[in-house]
Amino acid sequence: MSLTGWELAFAFVIFPGFAFTATVGLVLTWVDRFVSARVQWRKGPPLYQPFADMLKLLLKQTVVPAGASKVTFLLAPMLGFAAMCVTSVLLFYVNFFPQGSFVGDLIVLVYLFALPPIAIIIGASASRNPLSAVGASREMTLYLGYELPFLLALVVPVIRTGGAIRLGDLVLAQQAGGPFLYSVSGVIAAVIVLICIQAKLGYPPFDMAEAEQEIMSGVLIEYSGVPLAMFRLTKAMMFFLMPCFLVTVFWGGLASWWAILKLLAIAVLIILIKNTNPRFKIEHALRFFWFILGALGIAAVILAFMKL
Amino acid sequence: MKDPRIWGLKKSPWVYHVAAASCNNCDIEILELLTPRYDVERFGIVLVGSPRHADVLLVTGVINRKSLPRVLEVFEQTPKPCLVIGIGSCTCNNHIFRNSYNAVGPYDKYLPMHAYVPGCPPKPEAMILGVVKALGKL
Amino acid sequence: MRQAEAGLKELIHEAEVYEHNAKRLYIRIPRERLTDAAKYLHRECGMRLATCTGIDTREGFDVLYHFSEDKTGTMYTLKVLAPKDDPKIESQATWFPAADWIEREMHELLGIDFPGHPNLIPLLTSDTDWDKTKYPLRRDYERRNEAHEL
Repeated sequence: MSLTGWELAFAFVIFPGFAFTATVGLVLTWVDRFVSARVQWRKGPPLYQPFADMLKLLLKQTVVPAGASKVTFLLAPMLGFAAMCVTSVLLFYVNFFPQGSFVGDLIVLVYLFALPPIAIIIGASASRNPLSAVGASREMTLYLGYELPFLLALVVPVIRTGGAIRLGDLVLAQQAGGPFLYSVSGVIAAVIVLICIQAKLGYPPFDMAEAEQEIMSGVLIEYSGVPLAMFRLTKAMMFFLMPCFLVTVFWGGLASWWAILKLLAIAVLIILIKNTNPRFKIEHALRFFWFILGALGIAAVILAFMKL
Repeated sequence: MKDPRIWGLKKSPWVYHVAAASCNNCDIEILELLTPRYDVERFGIVLVGSPRHADVLLVTGVINRKSLPRVLEVFEQTPKPCLVIGIGSCTCNNHIFRNSYNAVGPYDKYLPMHAYVPGCPPKPEAMILGVVKALGKL
Repeated sequence: MRQAEAGLKELIHEAEVYEHNAKRLYIRIPRERLTDAAKYLHRECGMRLATCTGIDTREGFDVLYHFSEDKTGTMYTLKVLAPKDDPKIESQATWFPAADWIEREMHELLGIDFPGHPNLIPLLTSDTDWDKTKYPLRRDYERRNEAHEL
């Protein structure tokens, strides 16, 4: 199904592109703060709080540190933001028009989800600050850590559908034969992807790149004003799009009304893990991802081959 | 364009804590303020780790000859508009250190102060009142 | 008589011991014997240097080295007097790292010189905004004359 120029522009900017994803993402960050507040026996901020934060950041002065490479510093946030806009269009299109997906779009999505961490690393390296260099190295190490089990877990649905690397085929197979989650290998793979989402979002226990107490907001230490707003908006959009990705690949797709509840359930699970865990050290995190989750991933792949 | 800026600043003041040669009593009270018991997140107050993210600087401590240039540097690194609130009696008038060789006078000789919260140390309720009053004056 | 006290009196005959109570002893020694006494207390008796204090008195600068015997909880304090016109005391920082910063602080606030100290630069006062010839903790320092301009 080909779209005209105006329809494409509408898709990228309004629905399901920038405006829709950004709004839902910011509302989900409010859900995060609300659930965290209730877990700590207090009232949370009001519903308009994330929007007030964004507005305030957009209207503040942007300071570029002396000696930082200006263009890289200011353009790095746009990289992750653009990737998320494209991802949203791709995900929603594949879910509602599964016949239109192309071969390899699962791999394209994996690459698109890899761009926000890379944008953070580029921005932190362009900041000319030793603490942000420490944060960037931690983010790089963490990325090497979680990408391995993430890819292993994504191989499981591909094996279950007989080798199709098209998201449309995955969605159709789940609509026909039940979600991949309802099987042993599917459960293991979904749990692995959930923990990798926690690391990709930079939430505790994997927030060592942006550790407030240790390295003074490591990667984002020199950012202020509009670039900081873009980074936070990208994170909010990822908080919406990564559970969408999980539901698409493992839990039956987004084309039903139950999908809203499924998304909320995954978001609340991420929030609860975030609130109950202290921070990992980077060496422990690397070992955890490669040895524990990697072994689980290999076990899930073997179980998938045995049709379990 | 003044109104949306002020509304945003009022509804989401992000706080950074600058301890300039304090005895740390006020610093401990500020940490107490940011615990779930007083729940300042209702007002949108969040503690941030870098002065570049901050809207409100909470300064404590009697300002020292040694810490003065550093506090000024932190103030310059904070993107404007930003509020500066002095916590504790030492920021108002040097308090018990008024005869010291190192104490160089109340903060408003060097920084534009928006509120002072006296007390040694001030209670967290008094600090909330100070922040809310300073925001209400905007 | 305590073993450390006896050993110290044997080492330094001019030592005068004043016993404040069962847990605190003040031992006045001449300033040339400070290193011997401190090394004896630290190495042979196994005490640790808790802190050092200095005070400006009429007879001169009185510098106290407080050694703590952790086994019994007793404080042995060595008192040395440096006259006002020649405020020099041999530096203990050459063999004992704990005395390093304390001697720097005493040097910048009281004006006592510690020959032999590896790094006698100011510790607490500002490097840009402070007159290094003024010693604030001396009795004749008048704060009201101190003007401050940015």
